[in-house]
Amino acid sequence: MDYRISHRTHYRYSQPVAICQNQLRMQPRSRPGLACRRSEVTVTPTPESFEVHDDYFGNRVHSFAIESLHQELTVTVRSEVTVSVIPRDAAAEETPWESVVKQVRRRESEAALRAREFCFDSPRVNRGAPFATYAAESFRSGRGIVDAITDLTKRIHDEFRYDSAATHVHTPTDQAFEMRAGVCQDFAHIQIACLRSLGLAARYVSGYLRTIPPEGRPRLVGADESHAWLSVYGGDELGWIDCDPTNACLTKTDHIPVSIGRDYGDVSPMRGVVIGGGQTNLKVNVDVEPVAAAAADSA
Amino acid sequence: MSCSLDEYVPNPDRYDECKTKRGQIRDAWMPLANHLAALEASGMDGRAVRIEQLLQENGATFNVESEVGRQTRPWQLGAVPLLFDSESWGVLEEGLRQRTRVLEAVLEDLLGPRRLISGRIVPAELLLANPLFQRSYHGLPSTGGIRIHISATDVARANDGSWWVTADRTRAPSGLGYLLENRIITSRVYPHLIRRCNVRRMAGFFETLRNHLRSLATRVRDNPRIALLTPGHNSYRAFEDAYLARYLGFTLVQGRDLAVRGGRLNVKTLGGLLPIEVLWRHISDRKCDPLELEPGATEGVTGLLRSVRQDQVAVTNSIGSVIAQMPALLPFLPGAAKFLLGETLTLPNAATYWCGGDRERRYVFEHLDELLIRPAFAVTGTAATVPAELTRSAREELVAAIRANPENYVAQARIVHSTTPVWSGGRWNPWHVSLRTFQLQTPDRVEVLPGGLARAHPHESVLGAPPTGGQMTIDCWVSSSQPVDSEATLLPPPDAKIAIRRSGDELPSRVAEHLFWLGRYAERCEGIARLLRTTLVRLAGEDDWSVLPEVPRLIASLAAVGQIEPDYAIDGLGGSMPTLDQVLPASVFSADQPRGLQASIRSMMNNAMAVRDRISLDAYRILRNVSVELETLHEGPLSEVDAGRILDRLNRLITDLLAFAGLSSESTTRTHGWRFLELGRRIERADQTSEILAAMFAPPARDERRLCEALLGATDSLMTYRSRYLSLVRAEPTIDLVVTDETNPRSIRYQLEQIHALLAPLPSVTNEVGLGMDEKIAESLLHRVRLSDPDTLGQVDERGVRQRLHELLQTMIDELPKLSHAISARYLIHTGTTQDLTGVTEPPPRKPT
Repeated sequence: MDYRISHRTHYRYSQPVAICQNQLRMQPRSRPGLACRRSEVTVTPTPESFEVHDDYFGNRVHSFAIESLHQELTVTVRSEVTVSVIPRDAAAEETPWESVVKQVRRRESEAALRAREFCFDSPRVNRGAPFATYAAESFRSGRGIVDAITDLTKRIHDEFRYDSAATHVHTPTDQAFEMRAGVCQDFAHIQIACLRSLGLAARYVSGYLRTIPPEGRPRLVGADESHAWLSVYGGDELGWIDCDPTNACLTKTDHIPVSIGRDYGDVSPMRGVVIGGGQTNLKVNVDVEPVAAAAADSA
Repeated sequence: MSCSLDEYVPNPDRYDECKTKRGQIRDAWMPLANHLAALEASGMDGRAVRIEQLLQENGATFNVESEVGRQTRPWQLGAVPLLFDSESWGVLEEGLRQRTRVLEAVLEDLLGPRRLISGRIVPAELLLANPLFQRSYHGLPSTGGIRIHISATDVARANDGSWWVTADRTRAPSGLGYLLENRIITSRVYPHLIRRCNVRRMAGFFETLRNHLRSLATRVRDNPRIALLTPGHNSYRAFEDAYLARYLGFTLVQGRDLAVRGGRLNVKTLGGLLPIEVLWRHISDRKCDPLELEPGATEGVTGLLRSVRQDQVAVTNSIGSVIAQMPALLPFLPGAAKFLLGETLTLPNAATYWCGGDRERRYVFEHLDELLIRPAFAVTGTAATVPAELTRSAREELVAAIRANPENYVAQARIVHSTTPVWSGGRWNPWHVSLRTFQLQTPDRVEVLPGGLARAHPHESVLGAPPTGGQMTIDCWVSSSQPVDSEATLLPPPDAKIAIRRSGDELPSRVAEHLFWLGRYAERCEGIARLLRTTLVRLAGEDDWSVLPEVPRLIASLAAVGQIEPDYAIDGLGGSMPTLDQVLPASVFSADQPRGLQASIRSMMNNAMAVRDRISLDAYRILRNVSVELETLHEGPLSEVDAGRILDRLNRLITDLLAFAGLSSESTTRTHGWRFLELGRRIERADQTSEILAAMFAPPARDERRLCEALLGATDSLMTYRSRYLSLVRAEPTIDLVVTDETNPRSIRYQLEQIHALLAPLPSVTNEVGLGMDEKIAESLLHRVRLSDPDTLGQVDERGVRQRLHELLQTMIDELPKLSHAISARYLIHTGTTQDLTGVTEPPPRKPT
């Protein structure tokens, strides 16, 4: 599935900003299941300096600084990507989840060693008995890993209330879990906490979700949003399995990953420190356009 | 009673540094033993007192609190040193050299290729489960090919005399400043002995350190700017960082002094931004950059990591070096040394068990009572947990906590420490000792500082706690087999007048601000003390003070300058006046009035401490006297403190403050730093004089002679007056002397002339046309006073008011604070408030399908 993505972030400050220093994590990188064909980042006003590096998790990071007075800042990232499904070995899907835990704990392969990174507490996700207890219902002894993950993903979707007023960006995972409410970020953190509490490796994924307009209605341009889900290590044969508790599914080609990390803190799309600025007004426009459809139209 | 070391009886169960098992004094100790044999016991006590005095004067404290007045106990320094012969020191030195190289190799690997982890030499959890491991450390370039430049190692000596390592410090070890000062003090107490013992000098180490840091500058090789980044003057590091910066000639900076622009690191100075080439940081790794590491941290500077990545600044120790000091690494170092360098680690670790390993954990649970439990990753400020001393339930909790997250704990065998003679209670006692050594790694070699910071305590277990508790430290002498060349010290002689100095020719804005306020508060203290003296003299005199006409005016003046509640002034001779002789002495000791004498002394000291590297030792000693002058009197009940004794103290206080003023006028080069100190002083003096004059004089009194005398006394102008007018005391000449006489250094006009002259040479940061706001205010005030005529000012109008004088003084009282603000706004505040945008760009919530 091909997409053309545009992500525009616009800040307006009530008072002039003397200096801003920022880091972006908004550019998709090619990885298994995702090919990034083109991507460009535009910043206005033009930064004095601009630097690109890859972070610890392999995400592309753009750092820039604007050192003259400004009252607006616009960052636009335009990308063209292709998402494909990596076929999974049906037999491997039956691997009992306990043996995946063992593989990771014993670091039996290079991949398992790398996955071990995502087994421990991270700044926003702490393991704990309540998470393990909650997850245990889905992870009955000997159950196949994919089956168990799918079940847990569905339960979080069914048993948690989607409520954007219940939490904010800094709500601790424990608290969202207790409230049984939150948004995609909270659900991803909660499921990660559940899986890590069982000894599995789980990581946070930020990206976009294709929206399919209701029957007979046109697709609304610029009405899309960023999204977050998670990825579970399913052993050497299965690799990483992405699942989306907000939408009760394992991902296919509708999900477009951008950054991965231990939790939201590692992948926040834009970090920044400004001097001055007063009140900040933020506007974000995301447009996820399936290109195959567009091409068909013009043909 | 003698203090011969023959009397010393070591602890038979431990290795003793001074005596062999058979009771013989070791060779290295012989010159000291001979020296002591010739002394009376009182001589030893005298030395201890002298050391105590030297420490006090230099104000060396761990943990100086921001509230002066609550001075924390200075760390103690033992009366005799700890001696090592060159042979046994050589073994330790060689081991430390190797250890430093091993730690460097381990860190380089863990922050890069991680062969130790893929090769299963070091468990992956040590990094992956380590909350101190910020992922941004990984892949950061080293500094000049080295990550661990300055490190420390804590060692203890086992019963067989062999050394064991108990901990490493690879981030920013503390103690260098303290041991330097220890050495300076002991060499003053034992000037001949230190030569007879052929003690290896430390100056060479510091010289190499300075040269090495200089060599790290990549862009400017000729006299690069090196800055020492300290956490702030409320930190326990404040004293030693100021001391080291001064000794080595580095610029002492805090996070708010720094700014990254165009990828380069700069210090914000009065004249604008100046680039820093080398940053010796004494702050936590995770606080170095709020953008990429801990958000909101103010100790570092936004953009530092980016600057490091682009090789625009050299940071020591490299950011991420904290990883090499985690206790969990200790048991894996021998394997790592083999794996990475093919070497056998010669200096053993104290037995340490990382609970994340299954076998180790089983061992720990089986031997819990013999072990200490510590966090595996962080070096904490608290002592280790001793399971043997825990209650049953606390012990069960500990075991449960270890079971739940075993990777977070290490267990360590209880550590055995050798003993050394310590003079206490009039005799020699064997105290346990722990040694912190310091290493400097350069591209060619590892240099070990000869000696180190030794800590001693009568209880062995206390040495496991971090060295911040005001414990006993001991200077370590490593005696050389050959005579030691007298190398040059980097330190100016201790009695030299250093006063405010320039590092290059820049002055960080923050330092200018502290100097400005130091000047203001010193002047305020002096002014209030003088006014109190003038008043108390009358209260303690032979006359019945309640009928003296100047007393109510003096009270009004004290209220106007903030020393006492304004109510006393309003009531005049009414109800509350009879208690004045209690109220006034009490006010001398009370910190309740925010602008009173005590509060001003504290503020003065806080500002002085913040710029300790910029003011001379003499000046600092004087200020320290000021801060304690009024403390000691306050032990008994106040009613027993008579006015006479308070007057004595006030006199001493005024003398001290005059000495400080004299130092800054006679022993300070006219740098911008001095200008700000002076500006503060002049503004404060003009302000105080205006306040006092307004309270004393604006409404005329029947007998003005006594008022004039009081005023002249309070403004230190009585002598001048008498020399001019003898005993003819009138209002007009008094007003002339205190307001309009430009030749009297106490007059308002003199202050304004000085302010005007001081402002002119200050650099302009903005390129505005014409005068700055501060200059405009100063010009207009000066103009006003220049045009004033003493006779007109003295005139009393038909309503019985000195209208002109009143107006002039009111203008001063209104405008001088504005002048102070204008100076701050123009020179001292370079930055607005910062805000963190991280997280503001939260992905907006996605509706469920």
